[in-house]
Amino acid sequence: MKPAAFEYHLPDSVSEATRLLAELPEAELMAGNQSLGIAMSNRVATPDHIIDINGLTELDYLDIGDKKIEIGAMVRHRDMEKSSALTEAFPILSISAGKIAGPVVRNRGTLGGSIGEADPGGNYPSVLVAMGGEIELLSTDHTRTVDATDYFTADTTDSINENELIKCARFSKKPFPSHRTGMAFLRKKEAAQSWPIVSVASAVRVADPTHQNPVIEEARVGYANASDVPLRLQSVEAAIEGEPISEQTLRTAGERAYDEVQPQSELHADKTYKRELACELTKRVFRRSYDRATAEPIVV
Amino acid sequence: MSIDKNKAVDERPTREVSITVNGEEITSEIEPRIKLSDFLRYHANLNGVRVGCEHGACGACTVSVNGDLVKSCLMYAVQTDGDEILTVEGLSENGSLHPVQQAFHESHALQCGFCTSGFVMSTYDLLTDNPSPSREQTKKHLSSNICRCTGYQNIYEAVDRAAENISDDESLKLEDN
Repeated sequence: MKPAAFEYHLPDSVSEATRLLAELPEAELMAGNQSLGIAMSNRVATPDHIIDINGLTELDYLDIGDKKIEIGAMVRHRDMEKSSALTEAFPILSISAGKIAGPVVRNRGTLGGSIGEADPGGNYPSVLVAMGGEIELLSTDHTRTVDATDYFTADTTDSINENELIKCARFSKKPFPSHRTGMAFLRKKEAAQSWPIVSVASAVRVADPTHQNPVIEEARVGYANASDVPLRLQSVEAAIEGEPISEQTLRTAGERAYDEVQPQSELHADKTYKRELACELTKRVFRRSYDRATAEPIVV
Repeated sequence: MSIDKNKAVDERPTREVSITVNGEEITSEIEPRIKLSDFLRYHANLNGVRVGCEHGACGACTVSVNGDLVKSCLMYAVQTDGDEILTVEGLSENGSLHPVQQAFHESHALQCGFCTSGFVMSTYDLLTDNPSPSREQTKKHLSSNICRCTGYQNIYEAVDRAAENISDDESLKLEDN
């Protein structure tokens, strides 16, 4: 349970970090170390070089604008959870951050670390694909932006190159005007330390929240641990769009989720159970999002 | 590029660090791979820092770094160069138990005792921010710690007792570090 020997590097700027990455292709970047540290403890990972990016304060920022939300890679889960500005502007990020592990892990773990780990059970990956987020990557000689759906390619596998680091995640605010959008994140998990069996992120935008039965203009839904990648299901979204929420549309959405998730069996949950969970959580997460879209003020 | 993992310990890369632990500065030459938990136990001789799972699940090694709780098995001591660390040994003053420790004692909030220092640190952290937590808030805040004896009921009661003791006595108010 002790890590193998490594050389330690502590850059204080992004340019120095990317230079080190270019020089040391086998190096691992270390952010909050809440996942890499486990892999190193178990010697699943034995990097020769560790580039500790906790000194990169330039990646520790929340940029909350009218048109876009941008979160720096080194923002801790705790800071997203507790940011009232973020809770107001894009609540699903604060809610999903607050549901990661326990508070001590949230003190250290970062947005970029979670995206880099690319675990299909992670909270942010499902939020990113559901909300149409994008990820900006940097190296010594280029910057590129990747849609979340293209970024996550397989179980704990992503499309980042060895010489790149994650700068930030970005979301367009346009589809989610606060006064008529509700967001929710629900999951089933057995303990703070365990991964969720299934979790679901959603947003619902209504046409007119003051109407007695507001019509849903657009819905978004993303599933974690329901496939080998975070999974957005547009057919499930379509089931509740174009009319007010009802038991009938929710039932259809739940049935489609049951049919279309592609879960793996695990020790505590077989495939059928996970399909049933996806079905039930879909109905609940849409209902909660809808209630929040039509409530005044937005309740988190 | 590869570090020879068979090299003798004294040939591997080391770094000098200066870490303030419970108010005392400790300077030591260490390998980067030394976990903060092992540094505290074997360089600072603070055995109240318990090493349970060593991969961030159990919370027995919980300490405070610059005022924030961390699992010290998921930090390397080199990362805390220049930082201030508080362990369970730093809570008591002049040989008397801290009110959180006293409450754990009075409520019999331990069976084997292995997890206790981690729970005490999490309780200290909780009450620093929130002097009168609800049971739900307590459960959430202590969810980073595991008691394998499953003595949670008495632990939660100890948190309530500590909160009462502290609010009854102004002089026991926790410092908001």
